[in-house]
Amino acid sequence: MGTILMGGLELGLILAVMAIGMFLSFKILNIPDLTVDSSFTLGCAVSAIGAANGHPVLGFLLSVLAGMAAGCVTGFLQTKLKIQPILAGILTMTGLYSVNLWVMGDKPNIPLFGKATIFTPLQGKLPVLFEKLPVIALVLIAVAVLIRLFLKTQIGMSLRATGDNEDMVRASSINSDGMKILGLALSNGIVALSGALMAQYQSFSDISAGIGMMVIGLASIIVGDAFVGKGSVGRGMLAAILGAVIYRFILTFALQLRMPLSGLKLLSALLVVLAISIAAARDALAKRRMRNA
Amino acid sequence: MLKLQDIRLTFHRGTVNERRALDCVNLHLSPGDFATVIGSNGAGKSTMLNVIAGSYEADSGKILLDGEDITLRKEYKRANKIGRLFQDPLKGTAPNMTIEENLGLAYLRGKKRGMGSGLKKTDEAFFKKMLACLGLGLEDRLKTQVKLLSGGQRQALTLLMATIVTPKLLLLDEHTAALDPKTALQIMRITDGIVRENQITTLMITHNIKDALSYGNKTVVMGQGRVVLILEGEERAGMTVERLMQLYSANTQDAFSDKMILYSRHT
Repeated sequence: MGTILMGGLELGLILAVMAIGMFLSFKILNIPDLTVDSSFTLGCAVSAIGAANGHPVLGFLLSVLAGMAAGCVTGFLQTKLKIQPILAGILTMTGLYSVNLWVMGDKPNIPLFGKATIFTPLQGKLPVLFEKLPVIALVLIAVAVLIRLFLKTQIGMSLRATGDNEDMVRASSINSDGMKILGLALSNGIVALSGALMAQYQSFSDISAGIGMMVIGLASIIVGDAFVGKGSVGRGMLAAILGAVIYRFILTFALQLRMPLSGLKLLSALLVVLAISIAAARDALAKRRMRNA
Repeated sequence: MLKLQDIRLTFHRGTVNERRALDCVNLHLSPGDFATVIGSNGAGKSTMLNVIAGSYEADSGKILLDGEDITLRKEYKRANKIGRLFQDPLKGTAPNMTIEENLGLAYLRGKKRGMGSGLKKTDEAFFKKMLACLGLGLEDRLKTQVKLLSGGQRQALTLLMATIVTPKLLLLDEHTAALDPKTALQIMRITDGIVRENQITTLMITHNIKDALSYGNKTVVMGQGRVVLILEGEERAGMTVERLMQLYSANTQDAFSDKMILYSRHT
């Protein structure tokens, strides 16, 4: 049981990294970014290739750059070529599928069994149950703290304003196009980082690893909102992290109840529907109570 | 300070909806000029402001600001020197950010935005002092999200944001039209105070002919995409609302819109 719960927590924290990335695009920039599905895979692929060739840390770090490049492409399509945000994401996602295959040497998966990963240094030094948690927690905390600090800087504040009111931003001499590209690059860089963690954690990279990741990230953000409530930036990020862990525990629980593995994506989608409707139902209920009071 | 030379702009060129929005507009403002702009709907007032601000690109002509040719400069780059208020009070501020954060962003106008802290402790006292000048009690609400403010408060805040770094040019596009009469008067007074104190070159569109004659030192009358009349000095001082309306009808084939007549009678 302990192994299963720990596994759920670890996966939840890895997904939390992705949720922070998606928090930047969905919540801060207010852009639905579908690049996520493929930039997650890109992160997996780059990190796996690094680890397979004996450079787990280098692969891990390069994955961030690769993800950022993918985000820049989507941002460029949106701002300079004036393509609708959703379509821009789909186009990048589609194109990246080929790129991801190339990165993985035209193979649909790369196994890393027996290869050194970023988790290797701690192996044997801690009880087996806690071997992987420190690295994951460290990455998550580092990303969360850095992004929180970044959003307080002049550029970070300009980024927030761009998602809040673009007219105001341009009238205040801020390059809103540049901000969108920067935001999408950061967002996808973090998503790729999460993919990189996932590949080395599972000792495995698969071309379809990222399918449905956007919905999972969305589920995390919305589930978290339902629990933590909306508010400041810090609270929103906390909600995304918590939401990812809760989401993963729900899945772990469902799998323990013998839900077939094939039902995973359907459950993810239903969770998003449920989480969104909870917010709507709560508002309606509050209204009714007010009228009856 | 501001010079518009033969500005032309046609919308939907080559379609049945083709409309000549600006038809050879020429305008010259000296430093410190506070010009009001009037004209009926579709006269090209807002289009002219949008062309100056860079939201639209002119088909031909030249725009000079402070001696620089800004005709082809991007909107956000022009905003280094141009402060701007829209009619919609929601357009000028970021609703989910605090008053302080909005001012912090505006205070960086024209400066390079980097990795420094977005809000400096040292600026807080200055922001409070500036907010106190508005007389709306906003100085005690620095941490309040802007979406919780009323339309008038938001417009006053936008005005402060547009002028906290004194711009070379201030563009006001009917910035009091969406407010109730009492608030509109209050915002107009604040505007007048800020513009005069900092001697900001200003272009203000209004639907209120009385305001157009009582505020500022010049009145630009527009019709059918052209500047048809510029009033200043003694001629302007002796002008009445009725005479201006006659003059307008004589100079264009347009009558003033009902909205304008309504405004001038009731306020």
